[in-house]
Amino acid sequence: MIRDITIGQYFFGKSFIHKMDARMKILISLFFIILIFLCKNFFSLGLVAAFTVFILSISKIPFKLILKSLKPIIIIVVFTAFLNLFYTKGGKTLYEFWVFEITLKGVYSAIFMAVRIICLVAGTSLLTYTTTPTSLTNAIESLLSPLKRLHVDVHTFAMMMTLALRFIPTLIEEIDRIMSAQKARGADLESGGLVKRARALIPIFIPLFVSAFRRAYELAYAMECRCYNGGKGRTSMKKMHFTYRDGVAFAVIALLTAGIFILNFNIRAVI
Amino acid sequence: MSSEPIIRTENLTHLYSEGLSSEVAAIHNINIEIMQGEILAIIGHTGSGKSTLIQHFNGLLKPSTGRVFVDGKDIWESKQATRESRFKVGLCFQYPEYQLFEESVYKDIAFGPKNMGLDENETGIRVRRAAAFVGVDDDMLERSPFDLSGGEKRRVAIAGVMAMEPKVLVLDEPTSGLDPRGRDMVLDLIGNYRRQTGNTVILVSHSMEDVARLATKVLVMNDSQIAMCGSVEQVYSQGTLLYEMGLNVPQITRIFMGLRSHGIDVNDGVFTVEQGRNEIARLLKSRGVQK
Ligand SMILES: Nc1ncnc2c1ncn2[C@@H]1O[C@H](COP(=O)(O)OP(=O)(O)OP(=O)(O)O)[C@@H](O)[C@H]1O
Ligand SMILES: [Mg+2]
Repeated sequence: MIRDITIGQYFFGKSFIHKMDARMKILISLFFIILIFLCKNFFSLGLVAAFTVFILSISKIPFKLILKSLKPIIIIVVFTAFLNLFYTKGGKTLYEFWVFEITLKGVYSAIFMAVRIICLVAGTSLLTYTTTPTSLTNAIESLLSPLKRLHVDVHTFAMMMTLALRFIPTLIEEIDRIMSAQKARGADLESGGLVKRARALIPIFIPLFVSAFRRAYELAYAMECRCYNGGKGRTSMKKMHFTYRDGVAFAVIALLTAGIFILNFNIRAVI
Repeated sequence: MSSEPIIRTENLTHLYSEGLSSEVAAIHNINIEIMQGEILAIIGHTGSGKSTLIQHFNGLLKPSTGRVFVDGKDIWESKQATRESRFKVGLCFQYPEYQLFEESVYKDIAFGPKNMGLDENETGIRVRRAAAFVGVDDDMLERSPFDLSGGEKRRVAIAGVMAMEPKVLVLDEPTSGLDPRGRDMVLDLIGNYRRQTGNTVILVSHSMEDVARLATKVLVMNDSQIAMCGSVEQVYSQGTLLYEMGLNVPQITRIFMGLRSHGIDVNDGVFTVEQGRNEIARLLKSRGVQK
């Protein structure tokens, strides 16, 4: 179960999206999040959903893998959907029992929220799926470089982010290992009240922190051995270039934005 | 002692990433019977499914198909049965020192017995008994597990599993990453434990020498399946077959095979250095050479 989390992993590929400039991908991802929250009705959200399916399919990331990455957020999706189902009032009452009342509007908003969250996660996780950690760092560094004037250490910040991303899968594997080891000693992680469950996490987290520190030291030594000493005067072998692909992507996003606005306000006019 | 096997598997298969394109059968159709009091060694090349197999014995992994019986009882029959199997079969993972977390060695060894619901008194007795097996003295019991050396940590972690006093002790590569002295210590303590308690021990190992020293029975895994199962002599005499599976007989055995092929009349059933020394002593004596 815990191994199903694929956030922050990179999957090798040669698709259009893989080849795009990482800076463009970051900007588009951020803009995509805003777009999702700008959707006001099923028409515009439908357009965003279609766009999400489109970019996922051209990225050539196996469909099953994407489904798997969505598995951990199922609980959040279901929970949000349920809340909306019961707490949104209005429209025809479909079903009623005890203090609950399910209305047509409730059903709509439950579906709306679910689709929204799924698009959000599926769309934005594509960034790390299709971008190597190195180009991600370079892109973050390049995008934040205006802050250098304010004496912000942009390089270190970018490097930190990349390392964090790089170690997510490693730590997940580690948690899995430690959990098995403690379960073999009879640790009970699945029953009891909140306090008992929180206490049951101690035998998992202490070894995890110990090993995370050990890894951090090892990594620091390894970086030092390769003469890493921060970003000063550092140049990169692969320069980033905007290409025609980024232009195309920009145009597509512009069209998408226009589409959302039109569908939001002028459905009648379109139909 | 009954003749009923302590652990039995029936057509046990485990698939990782079931239903995905990356689906792999880590073990396939495994049928074994492990008898009370045996020291069973499991050997096999990397990725042959050894670790996957042993995690089925205490219900950490659920079979994709097939069944596992511990003490004659299907461990997936009820939640209760699964939990019981945790304590009947004590599993010690590879590099177990990374599971230590308590503030003192004593408390860490006591983690298992506490989870079993034993009282303070019984826990204390078991912790001391387990500590004695692995050569941890009272002084060390009060120290922090994080201040110990690698070999000491390893022994403490093994004691943590022993303290549950399981009917079957399973160890996944208990000697990996230790120096020769640490390795000898761990092997000796396993041997002693088995002699004194009469409990079953299952040992996963990459070292053919270690296996020859300890095991009463050897199980060879190859590509997710059982390739051979028998006594040390039976298995180790299949040198070429083992070689094809990415394994090798111990160095000392190869030396004696070489001697034999050079026309020297030695017994080639030599698997440990100790046996080798005795065999050479016998040979020298038969040729009339005195020490
Ligand atoms: N959590 C997992 N998810 C997916 N596949 C796995 C997982 N754990 C193991 N495997 C795969 O299952 C197969 C058997 O692995 P296993 O760990 O049982 O081998 P092993 O015999 O213990 O190897 P080693 O000697 O290296 O410890 C391998 O091909 C491995 O890649
Ligand atoms: Mg293994």
